Amino acid sequence: MGTFIQLIVDGLSTGSVYAALALAIVLVNQATGLINFAQGGMAVLSAYIAWALNGVGLPLIVAIVAAVAISFVLGAVIERFLVRRFERGDPDTAVVVTVGLLTLITGVCAWIWTYNNRQFPSLFPLDTVSIAGAVVSLRSLGTIVVIVVIMLVLQALFLGTKLGLALRAVAVNPASAAFSGIPVGRHLMIGWGLAASLGAVAGVLVAPQLTLTPGMMDSALVYALAAVILGGLTSPLGVVVAAWLIGVLENLAAVYVPFIGHDLKIAVPFILIFVVLIIRPQGLFGRRSVVRV
Amino acid sequence: MTAPAAPATPLMQRRWVVWAVAAIVVVVLAVLPLVLPEFANQTLARVGVFAVAVLGLNVVMGYTGQVSLGQIFFVGLGAYVTAFGVNADWNIVLVFALACLIPAVAGLLVALAAARLGGLAIAMVTIALPIVGVPLAKRLSDLTGGSQGTSARFSDAPEWSGLYDDQWQLYLVILIGGITFLLTRNLVRGKYGRAFAIVKGNQAVAASMGVSPYRYKVLAFTIASLIGGVSGFLYMVVIQYTSPETLSFGHSIELLAAMVIGGAGSIVGSILGGAWYVLVPQITNIIDPNITAVLQGAILLIVLFILPGGLVSLPRLFRRRRAAAPRAGAASDAPDVPIETPRERHQS
Repeated sequence: MGTFIQLIVDGLSTGSVYAALALAIVLVNQATGLINFAQGGMAVLSAYIAWALNGVGLPLIVAIVAAVAISFVLGAVIERFLVRRFERGDPDTAVVVTVGLLTLITGVCAWIWTYNNRQFPSLFPLDTVSIAGAVVSLRSLGTIVVIVVIMLVLQALFLGTKLGLALRAVAVNPASAAFSGIPVGRHLMIGWGLAASLGAVAGVLVAPQLTLTPGMMDSALVYALAAVILGGLTSPLGVVVAAWLIGVLENLAAVYVPFIGHDLKIAVPFILIFVVLIIRPQGLFGRRSVVRV
Repeated sequence: MTAPAAPATPLMQRRWVVWAVAAIVVVVLAVLPLVLPEFANQTLARVGVFAVAVLGLNVVMGYTGQVSLGQIFFVGLGAYVTAFGVNADWNIVLVFALACLIPAVAGLLVALAAARLGGLAIAMVTIALPIVGVPLAKRLSDLTGGSQGTSARFSDAPEWSGLYDDQWQLYLVILIGGITFLLTRNLVRGKYGRAFAIVKGNQAVAASMGVSPYRYKVLAFTIASLIGGVSGFLYMVVIQYTSPETLSFGHSIELLAAMVIGGAGSIVGSILGGAWYVLVPQITNIIDPNITAVLQGAILLIVLFILPGGLVSLPRLFRRRRAAAPRAGAASDAPDVPIETPRERHQS
């Protein structure tokens, strides 16, 4: 029983990291209609920035906050000077742009910091606490708390502030938003910036567990995409729940299903996706949309 | 869609010119392996292998508009099936058939689920194929040889031919690859090609015309996987060794980049893409191995910025410039403009 609870808490913790990345993907998709495959690469870059700032003597928490801020600017700049050109065009080309961006950013990380593993300090103490007989690390609990807080802040931002209203207006109908005097371009930049910041949070949360390498987020990106498909592109809450579900299920499967084990657990979300897609093509929480000719 | 491959000069549209060019190409392809040095033959054979892989990606992505990040998985699967069959001493024709069939079935199963979601779901699902494929190939070590990989020698030149191995292998690639290209060309120019183009252009329109987007997306994906399997067979012909590294995520991205840079939705673009896939890493490695990835990402973005149609659109670009000078504004090349796809949002 103790192992079981521990697996669930750890699953929620890794699921939370996927959730942060998945929320970033949803944010960009809602604002621009794109799937940003570079989101994982951008998160790695943010983690490296935090690592470098920490390395020159800044306290960890300050380095992380600075990295989140820098990532916001980077995201906005990428939107303005690279992605905007392809936003209203062919979506396939736009996807290839983000894939190219992924190659470029991974390459830049490898060029500056090499492919060697770097030890990233953990934001949370490495102690453990005992819950109902299970040994649970504070890091797992801390990660879960951080993501829940971010989710609540995002929810408040989108539903309770003027900025959130404008962002939603731009997402739903850019032309009408422009007619009502909302600067659409600036809000697209803000959307990308917010997504990059979210990715940065995911990066610094996952880096201590995996050690920092340029390809660190590749598999996390796959999980995040799986969460996006499962949760439905239109539902931030659904995406977070799906990410948690994936995190818990893969942890349980790794231990209780011998064939899957730790190296094949990445297949779990996709088995889940196949089952769900056959039954509910719009995702667990997504809405069915009607397309007009 | 019109074929962006054939230059639109009047001379090229005459039938006898087309046949003459085709004959010259065949003769050149028949003679080339005999006169080129071994290294050139091997490089050309590799280009052929990946040109076929890019061609498959083009069927699903260039012609049908479904982004696939998993094409390399089917190439790797085809290579593994070939290696296993050869090592089990099966008849080589049977091995080839299985190397086509098994990836096609795998592709069909993936597409049946992924094509239910519109838009970019296929991209999001297919990104998992190489990432799940690598640990799977390591795990199934009885079939795949695990991390060490597996090798199979079956493509050495037979005694009676009097050829060197590299010549024989290049002939095999030219023959099988050539047939694959011809069949695919006929497919995308015929009735299926038109259905693919409508699905790519606007799914809602396609559905209202009685062309089921779902069915044609699944079909395109299955054919792409089959062609990937052919490429995997050729991979074993030329390289004779495969390991989990063959189907890694990085290679899948490079294949996608090669397709876009060669030219999406183009037969000639597929060949250019294959050449790009093989040659450019060699060149960037010579410049500086540390910045290979940076260079490749940057080159891909630059090409997208200045040449969205890929390398194959280069001559067309020049021609349009020239044509635009005397009769300004004449839209003579209009059919070559790719179909604008309306953005599909809130697709779930």
